[in-house]
Amino acid sequence: MTIVKLENVRKIYPLGKTEVEALKGVGFEIEKGDFISIAGPSGSGKSTILNMIGCIDTPTSGAVEIDGRATGGLSDKEITKLRHDVIGFIFQSFNLIPVLDIYENIEFPLLLGKQTQNKKEKQEWIDYLIAEVGLTQWKNHRPNELSGGQRQRVAIARALVTKPRIVLADEPTANLDSKTGEAIIELMKKINREMETTFIFSTHDFKIVGIADHVIQLKDGEVIENRRTENARSDGGKNA
Amino acid sequence: MKTVMTIALRNLSRQKKRSFLLGGAIAFGIMIVTIINGFSGSFVENVSENFSQLLAGHIFIDGVEKSASGKDVSIIRDDAAVSALLLDAKLPVKYVNRRSSFNGTLIFEGKKVLQDVVGVDLGNEKFLKDRLVLQSGSFESLPKDRQGVILSADIARKLNVQIGDRMLVQLKTATGQQNVGEFTLEAMSVNPGLLGSLSAYANKDYVNELLNIAPNEYQQMGIILDSINQIDPAADRLYAAMKTKLNTFERKKADSGQGNPLAAMMKQSKTETWQGTKYRLYTLNDILAQVQQIVNALNIASLVILVVLFLIIMVGITNTFRMIMFERIKEIGTMRAVGMQKNEVRDLFLWEALFLAIGGALAGLVAASIIMGALSLINIGMNSPVFILLKNGHLTFKLIPWQVLANVAIIALLTLLAALFPARNAANLSPAAALGTTK
Ligand SMILES: Nc1ncnc2c1ncn2[C@@H]1O[C@H](COP(=O)(O)OP(=O)(O)OP(=O)(O)O)[C@@H](O)[C@H]1O
Ligand SMILES: [Mg+2]
Repeated sequence: MTIVKLENVRKIYPLGKTEVEALKGVGFEIEKGDFISIAGPSGSGKSTILNMIGCIDTPTSGAVEIDGRATGGLSDKEITKLRHDVIGFIFQSFNLIPVLDIYENIEFPLLLGKQTQNKKEKQEWIDYLIAEVGLTQWKNHRPNELSGGQRQRVAIARALVTKPRIVLADEPTANLDSKTGEAIIELMKKINREMETTFIFSTHDFKIVGIADHVIQLKDGEVIENRRTENARSDGGKNA
Repeated sequence: MKTVMTIALRNLSRQKKRSFLLGGAIAFGIMIVTIINGFSGSFVENVSENFSQLLAGHIFIDGVEKSASGKDVSIIRDDAAVSALLLDAKLPVKYVNRRSSFNGTLIFEGKKVLQDVVGVDLGNEKFLKDRLVLQSGSFESLPKDRQGVILSADIARKLNVQIGDRMLVQLKTATGQQNVGEFTLEAMSVNPGLLGSLSAYANKDYVNELLNIAPNEYQQMGIILDSINQIDPAADRLYAAMKTKLNTFERKKADSGQGNPLAAMMKQSKTETWQGTKYRLYTLNDILAQVQQIVNALNIASLVILVVLFLIIMVGITNTFRMIMFERIKEIGTMRAVGMQKNEVRDLFLWEALFLAIGGALAGLVAASIIMGALSLINIGMNSPVFILLKNGHLTFKLIPWQVLANVAIIALLTLLAALFPARNAANLSPAAALGTTK
């Protein structure tokens, strides 16, 4: 089942008096439940693509479809709701809210939309996520008391708390040493398998690219490679 | 909403120094304005109270006759008729003073001073004894010496007279004839500051003799009520009763908008003619019409100070919030990405501003209370030049609750307004732009 569809997406940024064409007509589809790597050198347009999929920026032209919905023409309010309900974000520099403790940071997205769970369910769910990312003892600490790896684990839990169909991660390991980075990727992969959440992450680390089900390679704002890998095939029943 | 408020409150404590500075500026503004309001709130009351003591009355009745030559003669001959009115009108009377007075020249060994001399019946003037502070001599000696006089220390010094010295007095009688008399200095009062040369006090008997009026006649009745707040309704009732029984000048009131009502009534009597005694009623409020204007001016000044002070503080708040917005731009982007709506981002900043304003305002009110409390503990004394503003020698402050609330509301509103533009800018940032900003 297709969960993300980009069609001929172009993005032009104004830059002083000139313009930069960050994406030059990009199109691809992403299958639900896949672990997708968007790879490419610096400046190739990875972040721009993730911004389009995450609906935090709009394409100059072309169409973006998320979870079967065309995003063009939606109001800011609708787009924000779509982000809240369908997408989770993991950032390169973790981006936790410094005045909230770990539990509150993870809870935060749940407090924004309509609240459907009862209090106990919610608490159990957050505690489960905290255990899942291995931070139970840190629950009531503020982010600045945690290491980078730990913070990124909090961010992962926060991204998952609304049970989104898609989690986007823009270079989630770039600010971590390689060992910690690998552990983070492992964790994401584990959750991807357990919860069948679609993970889309960007990286220019080719070791990480190796464990993806689907690799999209960019260069100068264009897709130069778009393939599903051995992983996807061997992982049973998710082939296109 | 609760989340937004929690974050806003905690955000305030992130940069404690900055919050204290901004909150402190707000507190300072509120403090100044509250103190001014408190002062002007008790201003009228104290000034009225003090004047009522100096002038010995809340409500006054004068009698005026026309002399053969057409001049105004101030006199009340028929005390019974006037006193009956007080009963008729059922006034809440505390004291009634019946006084005669003249403005004459005191002469001692070649030195001369122009002086108002009030003839009092000291036995009935308990009120005066409370008010007038003697520096030397005693009240008891005045009734014993028919020609005794109490001068203020200042006047005594100008004339160079000592207790027991006899001095000459030149004056005009009630009908305008030249007359001369003799006074003995029996007591000296402490200088009452601003109104230092207001009055000398002598026995009414003797003053009447000098004025050439009968001992049971007098010129002015001063009525002191139980409370200063009763002046207007009491005066209305008394005037109504007076009009039916006596020949009475039409009353001019302070709120009729014709400047000084007393001066207007004086002028009126000059242009009219009549037979017998015509009576005139006026009140302390009429005399002090200008005091209310001073208070209004004070209140307007405090409002202007509030607004000017706050325009300055507003600039600071706007700039600070711009800075805050820039500092937290990534956070804003994150919150937006995670699903926070624009108006929630805006509210986040507005709540922060509101908490700051309320915190600052409360601190300002507390500071103002402490300062006003401390100031009102100081005994400045009734012989100070500013005694007219004091109550028993102390500064007093009186705040009107709705005025305090209005000040706090104005400050909260202006703070919100100052934060609104940065808050709106923050809310309108595209999440990608906010997240992508490197700083
Ligand atoms: N806000 C912007 N304004 C102007 N140009 C931009 C903006 N964002 C990105 N670009 C340009 O668009 C192109 C693609 O940028 P993008 O950030 O998507 O690359 P990237 O693949 O994520 O690079 P990196 O690996 O360095 O993060 C670059 O040339 C970049 O300079
Ligand atoms: Mg990037």
